Amino acid sequence: MWFVRFVSSSIGKKVTMALSGLMLLLFLCSHAAGNATIYMSRAVFQGYADELHSHPLIVIVFSTGLFLVFLAHISLGLLLFLQNRQAGASRYTVSTRVVTNSLASETMPYTGLCILLFVLIHVFGFAFGPTGEMISDTVKRLLGHFFYGLFYLVAFAALALHLSHGFWSMLQTFGVNHPRYNKMINKLTYIVPLFFLLLFGGIVLYFMTGRGASF
Amino acid sequence: MSTIDLTLQIWRQKNSDSLGNLQTYTLTGISTDMSFLEMLDVLNEKLTKEGKDPVAFDHDCREGICGMCGSVINGIAHGPEKETTLCQLHMRNFKTGDILVVEPFRSRAFPIRKDLIVDRSAFDRIIQSGGYVSVNTGGTPDGNAIPIPAETAELAMDAAACIGCGACVAACPNGAAMLFTSAKISQLCLLPQGKVERKARALAMVKIMDEEGFGNCSNERECEAVCPKGISIRNIARMNREFIAAALFEG
Ligand code: HEM
Ligand code: SF4
Ligand code: FES
Repeated sequence: MWFVRFVSSSIGKKVTMALSGLMLLLFLCSHAAGNATIYMSRAVFQGYADELHSHPLIVIVFSTGLFLVFLAHISLGLLLFLQNRQAGASRYTVSTRVVTNSLASETMPYTGLCILLFVLIHVFGFAFGPTGEMISDTVKRLLGHFFYGLFYLVAFAALALHLSHGFWSMLQTFGVNHPRYNKMINKLTYIVPLFFLLLFGGIVLYFMTGRGASF
Repeated sequence: MSTIDLTLQIWRQKNSDSLGNLQTYTLTGISTDMSFLEMLDVLNEKLTKEGKDPVAFDHDCREGICGMCGSVINGIAHGPEKETTLCQLHMRNFKTGDILVVEPFRSRAFPIRKDLIVDRSAFDRIIQSGGYVSVNTGGTPDGNAIPIPAETAELAMDAAACIGCGACVAACPNGAAMLFTSAKISQLCLLPQGKVERKARALAMVKIMDEEGFGNCSNERECEAVCPKGISIRNIARMNREFIAAALFEG
């Protein structure tokens, strides 16, 4: 079948990687928009959360879809990593990277696994947290712990690094590489990760520093 | 004429089946006007006079156009100078006291035959699978019968500059052959003559590329950094578009 042949080809695997990455990025945008209500007030945030959970069908469909996308992205990413390690790694006595700034691209599987660890802890803390507690109180309680907050900040830094290669890499995989747009894309590879780092990191800092005590 | 003294550590391997290792040689009085291959010639004359086996390395034109030469010098394919083949790399890039580690282009798809010589016939098989335009014989067509915009001709020419040396594979952390294959696919799919077979070509060439045991591209950009002909990864983006379109509408 053409689909199986496409997905098992080298470029097909990359395209699947990029497509699932794009979907995760879109999820991140919607999650960021929802969480930004924390900056407005407790009432707005609680209102957003209550509204979302008053449509259980939407929540179930989207969270199942997200889980499958995550699964595809992670398993394929690890498969590519293992295949490539066989084809290439450590075959020279002296190996030199000519490209400067290759930190993000070299650490993709590791920053990815940091994000996975974060997602597991995050979901168990918030989605499957104590029932009966208002979500605003859960946020305040958990992020109020210094080390819990610190872990979140480290994970967000890993996410930013992952995205700083991922965003550009996704476009290149889709075939978007043209002198007319490359300047803008180069800027966006910094702006996109920084945007998420500041928005999510800001929420954690708000509670960590105690300024959110009256939230 | 200025000269330099060097220590060389060169990969020596009898044949595909034997294990190789690095051996150390010292050379004195190397003219900085020599090319890297001429420096190896000097070493080989010395070894021959001593009754030892000279270092086997590939070369042909020695003017940067055939794609036969190439080794990894201190971890960089074709050595430290940008957009230069090994035969065009001059010894003025080095100084007395330098230790140069010379290794063959390594990849799962490029078995070592002897010393620095690797078998790059995997590239030939990629070309054979579709890297051409089918032309039925007949009268010579008029050169200007098919108008081609200057920009298109330039882009095709940029891609056609690839000499098939294999440095992109040697430098890729994944041993991928995306830059080479994309240059060949781009060169043909841009021009009207090549557009007819573009879908079948993209599918066939990528299939063979995968079967030959090259790795998967993860957009590390090492290939374009070492390519002696300055082939851009814009060609890889174009190959991805060609392949996606072909798989969706032809596959
Ligand atoms: C949960 C654990 C995750 C793991 C283990 C992981 C792993 C990886 C790996 C190994 C790559 C391949 C790099 C390459 O081949 O170029 C990759 C690419 C990518 N990742 Fe992730 N990732 C994770 C989470 C995420 C998240 C949460 C996002 C977005 C919000 C994301 C966005 C991307 C994007 C956009 C790419 C680029 C795709 C491409 O190479 O074309 N990833 N990831
Ligand atoms: S793309 Fe560049 S490095 Fe790769 S084979 Fe062609 S000329 Fe050599
Ligand atoms: S010998 Fe022909 S390119 Fe170097």
